Amino acid sequence: MWPSLQRWWGVILILVAVCATVWLGVTQQLVLYIHPRYVVFTVVMAGIALVLGVLSIAVRPADTEGSAPRRGWSRVVGGLALLLSGAVALTLVLIPPTTLSSATASQRDIVGSTVGSDSQNVDEVENADDELLASFTVVDWASLLRQTSDPSFYANKTADLVGFITASEDDPSNIFYLSRFTVTCCAVDAQPTGVAVYAPEWQNEFEVDGWIEVTGSFETNPSSRSDLPLVLVPETMTAVERPSEPYLY
Amino acid sequence: MTTTVPASVDEHHQHDHRPRRSRNRWLWLAIGTLGVAGILGLRAFTGAQDSFGVPGLTADLLTLATSVIIESLPFVVLGIALSIVVQAWLPDDLLMRYLPNSPVLRRAAISMFGIALPVCECGNVPLARGLVMKGFTVPESMTFLLAAPIINPITIVTTHQAFGFDDGILVGRILGGLAIANIVGWLFSLHPQPNSLLTDRFAAQCAAGSHEHRQSRSEKSLDIFMRESSVLMPAVFIGSLIAGAIQVAVPRDVLVSLGSNPLWSILAMMLLAFVISVCSSVDAFFILPFASTFMPGSIVTFLVFGPIIDIKMLAIMRTTFPGKVLLQLSLVVALMSALIGLVINYVA
Repeated sequence: MWPSLQRWWGVILILVAVCATVWLGVTQQLVLYIHPRYVVFTVVMAGIALVLGVLSIAVRPADTEGSAPRRGWSRVVGGLALLLSGAVALTLVLIPPTTLSSATASQRDIVGSTVGSDSQNVDEVENADDELLASFTVVDWASLLRQTSDPSFYANKTADLVGFITASEDDPSNIFYLSRFTVTCCAVDAQPTGVAVYAPEWQNEFEVDGWIEVTGSFETNPSSRSDLPLVLVPETMTAVERPSEPYLY
Repeated sequence: MTTTVPASVDEHHQHDHRPRRSRNRWLWLAIGTLGVAGILGLRAFTGAQDSFGVPGLTADLLTLATSVIIESLPFVVLGIALSIVVQAWLPDDLLMRYLPNSPVLRRAAISMFGIALPVCECGNVPLARGLVMKGFTVPESMTFLLAAPIINPITIVTTHQAFGFDDGILVGRILGGLAIANIVGWLFSLHPQPNSLLTDRFAAQCAAGSHEHRQSRSEKSLDIFMRESSVLMPAVFIGSLIAGAIQVAVPRDVLVSLGSNPLWSILAMMLLAFVISVCSSVDAFFILPFASTFMPGSIVTFLVFGPIIDIKMLAIMRTTFPGKVLLQLSLVVALMSALIGLVINYVA
C-alpha cells in the first residue's frame, strides 16, 4: 500500500494542480495568480500534464525503480511530506480563489511603496484634460503624489479611482488607503500602492478589503494625526464589485 | 525446428494476455478520466461558494502558495517533458559524443547547454536528474543545474528588457552565473566519491536505471513522468507553502530599509531572493521596482543567487542531493554571489 501510494502520489498531485489550473483558466480567474502574459503557456502545459497523467493511469507502466522500503525517520519524514502536500492539494480544490487582501498590503509597506514611480510625470500632467485624468489609476496618482505635494497642482483635477480599502495605521477612523496590487509575474511579487482617502467614519459604510469607487480631488490633509501632506477628499464613494482583473500590470 | 517453438510460445503468450491487458487499459483510462472529472466537478462546486471565513493573512498565505504552484507548474511540466526526451528518445551517446574530454572544458561546455533550453530553475531539476541517469557525472550535472536557469534564452531576454545594458547588470548576471556554475562543478569534482553526493533514493534509482528493462519507449516515457512527478510535486507543494508562510511573516519594509548600504544591501537582496522564490525567467521584472533603492551590485547578487538557491529550489533539490551537500552548495553560492555583488558595488 505504502510504496504504491508513494508511486502514484505525484500523478495525483499533478492532476489536482492541473485541474485547479484548468478550472481557473476556463473561469478566467488565472489572472488572480499570474500575469496575463503567462496564461496561454500555463494552460497549454497543464493540458500536456493532463494527458500524460491520465495516460499513465491507463497504462500503469511497470515499476522499474526497485524502491527500497523506508524505515525509521525516513518513513516519518515521508509520511509528513505526504500529509503536508496532500493538505496543500486539498486547499487547491476546496478554497475559493481570491485576491491578496489588505493584510498583505500593509505588511508589504503600502505607505513607502515606490511602485511605478515613473508611471506619470508632473510636467506632462500639468495641463492634462479630463479624459486623460479619468484614465489614471491608483498607481498614476500615487506616482504624482510622490513627485509633488503642491496643492495648486491638484486643483481642478478630478480623480476617479477603483480600489480596495486598507486601513491607515496613523488615523484609522478618518483615513483609509484606496489600494491596488501591481503584479509583474505572479501574485507572489504583488506590490501594493495606494492613495490616502480622507473620509471620517468610513467604517460605518464600508469594510476593510471592500472594493469601492471614489471620485474627488486632492486637498491638504485635515487630519491632525496623520502627517501626509495631501489626501483624496471624496465627492462620491460607492461600493463596487471586485474587477475581473483586480491586479494592475 | 527450434525456431518455431519460441514463435508459437510467443504467439500463445500474445493471444492469452493482450486482450485482457488492453481491456484493463480501457478500464483504467475510464477511471482516470472519471477521477479528473470528479476533481473538476468538486472544484467548480467549491469555487462558487463564498470564502469560508478564512482570516486575512491565512487566506493570503494560501493565495501566495497557490500562486507559486500555478506559476511553477508549467515549468515543472516542461522540465519533465525535456527529461523524458533526453532519457527515452535521444540516442544514449548523442550528448556525450561531441563533448571535450578534459573535465574543465567539458563542464564549461555543459554550462552552456542552458542557452538552448527555455527552462527556468524548477524545470531544470528533472532535466539534471535525467542527465545523471544518462551517464553525466554528478558535478557535471550540477554545473548544468546552476548555469541553465541564468543563461536560458528567456531569462536573458527578460533581464535585457528590464535593465538593458545599464550598470553591467545583464553582463554581470550571465558571467557571474557561468563562473559560479563552473567553480562549483570543479569544487564538487574534487570529491572522491561523487555518487555519495546524491540521496540514497536517487542513487538507487540511477543504479537500477542502468539495467536494460523491456519497456516500449512510450511506456518508459510514462514511467519517467510518474517517477519525476512523484519526486518533484510534493517538493513543489511543500516549498510553495513554506515560501507563502515566510512571505506573510517577514515584513517587506525590513528588507528594503537595508537597501542603501553596499554590504547590507547585498545580504538583504540574498534574503529577499531566498524568500520570494520567484522563477529566474521573470525575476528581473520583480526586482526592477527596487532598482532605485538598491545598488547595482546588489541587484546582480539577487539575479545570480535567486535562480540557484531559494526556499522552493532547496525543497526540490532535496529530492536529489542530501542536506549536507545542499548546505555546502548554498554556502559556496552565497559567498560567490556576494563577492560578485561587492565587486560591482565598489567598482561600478
